[in-house]
Formats: sequence, C-alpha cells, structure tokens
Amino acid sequence: MHIIGVYNIKGGVGKTATAVNLAFLAARQGYRTLIWDLDPQAAATFYFRIKPKVKGGSRKLIAGQVELDEVVKATDFENLDMLPADFSYRNMDLRLEDTKKPTKQLLKLLRPLSKAYDYVFLDCPPSISLVSENIFRAAEGLLLPLIPTTLSLRTYQQLLDFLEGHRITGLELMPFFSMVDRRKKMHLDVMRDLPDQRGELLRAQIPYASDVEKMGIHRMPVEGFAPNSFAASAYQALWMDVQERLRNA
Amino acid sequence: MTPQAISYLLPDALDLESLKAHLSENNALQEDPAVEAAQIFYDSFDWRVWQAGGELVVEENPQKRLCWINRKTSEHELCQETDEVPGFPASLPEGELQNRLAEALEMRVLLPQVKIRQKQRTLRILDDEEKTVVRIVLTENRYASLDGKQTGELDGRVLLKPLKGYNGDFERLRTQLETMKLIAAEQSLYEYALIGIGRKPGDYSSKLNYRLDPDARSDATAKKIMLSLLDTLEINIPGTKANLDSEFLHDLRVSTRRTRSAMSQIKAVFEPEELEPFKQGLAWIGQVTGPTRDMDVYLLEFDDYQASLPETMRGDLEPFRTFLVEHHKQAQKDLVKKLNSPHFRKVVKSWRAWLNEPLPRKPKAPNATRPIASLADQRIHKLYDKVLKDGGKIKADSKPELLHDLRKDCKKLRYLMEFFQSLYPKPQVRALIKELKIILDNLGAFQDLQVQAESLEALGQQMMEEGAPASALMAMGILVGQLLERQVQAREEFAGLYAAFSSEENRLAFKKLFGGA
Repeated sequence: MHIIGVYNIKGGVGKTATAVNLAFLAARQGYRTLIWDLDPQAAATFYFRIKPKVKGGSRKLIAGQVELDEVVKATDFENLDMLPADFSYRNMDLRLEDTKKPTKQLLKLLRPLSKAYDYVFLDCPPSISLVSENIFRAAEGLLLPLIPTTLSLRTYQQLLDFLEGHRITGLELMPFFSMVDRRKKMHLDVMRDLPDQRGELLRAQIPYASDVEKMGIHRMPVEGFAPNSFAASAYQALWMDVQERLRNA
Repeated sequence: MTPQAISYLLPDALDLESLKAHLSENNALQEDPAVEAAQIFYDSFDWRVWQAGGELVVEENPQKRLCWINRKTSEHELCQETDEVPGFPASLPEGELQNRLAEALEMRVLLPQVKIRQKQRTLRILDDEEKTVVRIVLTENRYASLDGKQTGELDGRVLLKPLKGYNGDFERLRTQLETMKLIAAEQSLYEYALIGIGRKPGDYSSKLNYRLDPDARSDATAKKIMLSLLDTLEINIPGTKANLDSEFLHDLRVSTRRTRSAMSQIKAVFEPEELEPFKQGLAWIGQVTGPTRDMDVYLLEFDDYQASLPETMRGDLEPFRTFLVEHHKQAQKDLVKKLNSPHFRKVVKSWRAWLNEPLPRKPKAPNATRPIASLADQRIHKLYDKVLKDGGKIKADSKPELLHDLRKDCKKLRYLMEFFQSLYPKPQVRALIKELKIILDNLGAFQDLQVQAESLEALGQQMMEEGAPASALMAMGILVGQLLERQVQAREEFAGLYAAFSSEENRLAFKKLFGGA
C-alpha cells in the first residue's frame, strides 16, 4: 500500500483537485484506491457527492472505537473509495494530543487497510499541525502543489525547515507547479529559475484552468466530464511522474 | 461488511423495460449508456480454477482485463489489465492474480472454454446529493462456443450491486426487487453458457471415480472400467499432440498404465489370448510416449533443481535447460509421428471395438460372470497379503530391487482399490488409499531419485559430447549428489513408514473391508 499525502501550508493552491484527480486516475488503472479527506472543509468529499459525516467523528476514530473500514464509502467510480471528511476533524489535533504516540496515529489507523488498498491519498488541511505531522510520518510520498510565486516558494522552504527540525526523513518530496498561468510574468520567471535549484521538482505542471474549477459544478474529477481537456491531460502527466518517482525512490 | 452482489433471473412476466419503470416509481435513478461487453472464460483442461472456487474471465469492456471471480460471492476478487492471451501463469504479469493462478494451476495451461456476449444497461440509484448508492445492471446475454458453431441465448439477468458504505440502500432495493418476484439465480452465467455448449465444470478429471454395481458380472465391469480409461486416453490425444501442457501426455500415459494393470489384475475375466494383442499394443503406447515424458519431468523439475544449487552456480545450469528444451522438441516430434501413425490408430480403434463387443453368454474365463464385488474383495486382499509378505522381508540392508518390486505391487493394489472404491464405504476406503499413498510416495521417491540421478549423469555425458561448458556439468554433478542424498534419506525413512502402514490397525481395517486372513 502506497500512502501519498497532498499538502501545502497555504490553502487554495489546487491541493484537493490534485488528490481527487490523481486518486481517480490510480483507480482507473485498476489499483484499489482510497482517498481520505482530512480537511474539515470537506471539499474532496463534496466533489464525490458524499455526505461529510463520519459516525462518531474524529474522537471515536482516533480512540480506535470505530475502524476506518466501517466508515469508508464507495465513490461512483470503480476501485475508488473515500473516507469522508467530518466537521469534527477541526479538533483532530486535540484528539491526537491525547494519545500515546500523537504523531503516529494516522499510520496506525491506516495499517489494517494495507491489504485492501494499493494507493491511499491523504488530502490534508493547510497549516502545520499535529495532523500534518502525522501525515508526514505516515506517507511514502508528499505531493506539494506550488503556485509559481515567491511567496509560495517561501512556504515550501518553511516546510523543508520543519521536516529537518523534526528529523522527518525518508519522505519522498514531490513539489510541482500548480495553477500555472502562463500570462503572468512572475509565474514564467519562477518556473524558469526554480527547476535548476530544486531537483525534486516534478516535470508535470497543472494549469490554471476553468475545467478544474468546474469540478465544483459537476461534482466529479475532471476526467469525468472533460476527459479530453488540457487539465485532464495535465493530471495524467502528473500521475505518471508520481508513479515513476515512487518507483525510483 | 458490504453485502454480496445478488444476481437475479428475470421472471417471464417482466421485461427489462418494465423493471426500469417500476424502479423509477420509488427511486431517483439514472441510466448510463448501454455497453456491449465480451467475456471469454478460461480454465485448465481439468478445471483447476473451478475446483479452486473460481471463475476466470477475460472481459473486454472496452479495455481487456483478466479477473478471478469468487464463485461463492460472484465478486471480482482479483483483476489485472492484460493484452496477452492467458496461458501459463508464468507468462502473466507478476502480482496477486499470477500467484493465485500459479497455485491453482501448477503446471497446467489455461484454455478458453466459452464466450459470453453481454449487453449491459446500468441503472444508478441516487441519493439527494445525486450520489450513486446502488447499481443495478440489467444484462441480455448470449453464449458461443470458441469455434462459434454453437450459440444461443441465456436468460436476462438483473445484478444488484452494493456500494460500500450504503448497506441500507442496498437492502431497500433488494426488498423492492424481491417484491417484484425476482428470484436469485443459483448458477452463474458461465455455468449456463457451458451447459449451452454441452459442457459442465469438472466434466473431465484424471481421478478415477466409477459408480459400479456390486452384483454386475466381472467381465462387464472390467470392460466398463477399461472403456472409461480409453475415453481418458483418447480425449488427451489432441492436447498431447499440440503439447498444450505436459499433463495431457501424463494423463494419457497414466490411463494406459491403469488399463494394463486392470488387464492383469482383474484376473481371469477374459481369455488370455484375446487380451494379448491389446496388452502388446498398450505396452507399445507406454514405450513410445516415454521419452517425451522424461524430458517433461526434468523440465518440470528444473526450477527446483536450480533453486537447490548454491546461488552462484544457478546460472551454470542454464545449458541443461537449453539441452532439455531442444531434446524435448525432438522427442515431441517423434511422439506426434507415432500418435499419427496407422499403428497407433489401429491399436486404439481395435481396442475400443473389442471393448464394445457384446459379452459372451457362456464365457470360458473362470471369473467372467462372478459378481464383481466378490472378485474385487478377493483380488485386493490377495494383493494386500502379498504386499505385507514381501514388505515384511525388507531389512535395512536389503537390495533395492526388493523395494522396487514392492512398489510395483503397491501400485497395482492402489489401482485396484481406486477402480473398485465405489463398492466400499467411502471414508474407510479413502482412508486406506491414503495410507497406501504414503508408503507409495516413499517407494516412488526411492526409485525415481535413483533413476533421475542416473539419467542426469547420462544426460550430462551427452551434453558434454554436444559441447556444453564444464561449469554446467559441475552443476549437474552437484545435483546428482543431492538426488542420491535424498534417495538415501528416503531409504532410511522406509522402515518407519512401512511399520506404520503394516500396523495392526491397518491390517484390521483392510481385513474388515476386503476380507481375507
């Protein structure tokens, strides 16, 4: 079972769209795939038309009183299941603090599913918190959507500092450009310079595209309503990059 | 737990259209565009996938995938995208499905059995978020044999498919369907399609399983057994000629051997001179099929041979594989010639003609009209007594020949017990066959390891003459050593196993079933 986190300290960078579309592509390849919406805003859950409600909420989940498998919902797509978000996830940090090993709880919860799924995507809430630290420790790879701006690069550096400070190693970092707008000079400048400095950057880029925004109207992955769009092929390219990187990691 | 999908038969009074109309009265539903799906089902010649509780299918919908369906739950348990035509498990991509198949099939190859063409219409039942909570797949189905000569229609089906996390909705729809008088189908479409082309899962097995009448004449029973063995022999000829896998030839040879054993062990039911030409004919078949089988055996053993060598030497054995493959090719060519020869056809044809001849009203052979149950008792207990007498003489320093002879008698005994097992209470006769198998395995290992070691030496010699590198011969030398070591081990184990086989308990059990002293 490969666990892939999709994360950024900053919100609004295309994180959820990435998790949703890549999970869809993995499932379509025949991999048994689970997407866990850990963000109490429940955007990924909304995209799959699932009700953002988990029986017992984060309290029972973290306390181990409810097994993950009991609250999993099938999406409308074959091989793709979802652990929906719940409003109580906003208090997940507090629940995690109450446990013995507060930074390893998510991994512990996911372990029993290791036979049932080939890929697990974690759609993480923005900000650095106990939840995100759990994700860093559970995941094999971390996808980091970066808008090509200087501010975005600063938050990426913050993350690197955090990981180093907390001695989190062995996590395959996979930053990539997201919401790329080729009409903006700043985007082009950053995209020209950064790849030389950051070897870990993935090649694929996700454009700023109305089809991605339309996911909220259609409530499904881009492939579901615009399979031939530019955005759809961008996610395909990204998924290929991710698989290749994890294979070589 | 997610419930299992349910496949319903559509009652005659209802068609798919009116079913849809009924459902839309109580549910928000959406219909996906209809799709045509083609399925080809695969299994080995002796139905190993089926016996392992599965159905194996290549679905084209539109991309091809190979799936293992659990027969009990109808669930697609393991699926893999593939463009390859399924054959030996080793040629499939690595993964769980390959492992599952390798375990079920061993050395057997997958063969296409039947095709089903399906028109699928999927109705999705939606909740208030327009999320699918249950799928109902309506299918119209047609089957076809592989050559397309037999085709026909199968009943329409309604498949109720649960979605994880929506059990309540599943139960609601289940109730709705059952109120409409839909009845859950007990057999899968695959089974119906097989019936359509005149087949049945498990209709071939190399295992003996005759239902005999204890009061029937012995000569009639012997003919019945030998006819069935001839059926097995003949049905394996095409697969043997095409060399689809090694087991066609193996089963052909086993049925030949069993027939010869039946001829000699179901004693005095026919005139000896009548049987003589067929005895010779079958002995000839055993002989001409031998060389290919020998090569098969080494090829089947090759991976184990290789794995038993130190890692650094494993590569050195490759020339041996090449040698085997080459010589197998030649042996197979010769074999096909023999199987296509007029002589082979004559042996088989005249044997069948003789078996089909009516029985003489007043036969001369003393046991001909004796009820088979009494002859079976007598033959089995006599042979058992002989096994005990000869086995009891074997000491730690006895010559190997004594063990070889004992093996032959044990094998004859086993065949007799297997031919006649339906005349005895099943659990008891099965238990004794099992006991016999243990000692036979030991005797078999003792002899076969010796034979293998000797042949490996001879083959090594031949390879050297054909210019194989010295490293290959070194590796084979180590193998020979290992085989002989294992043979010594088998010899050491014999005394203990034989003591268990000839225990008082087993003697009593044999006596109780088959009579005798």
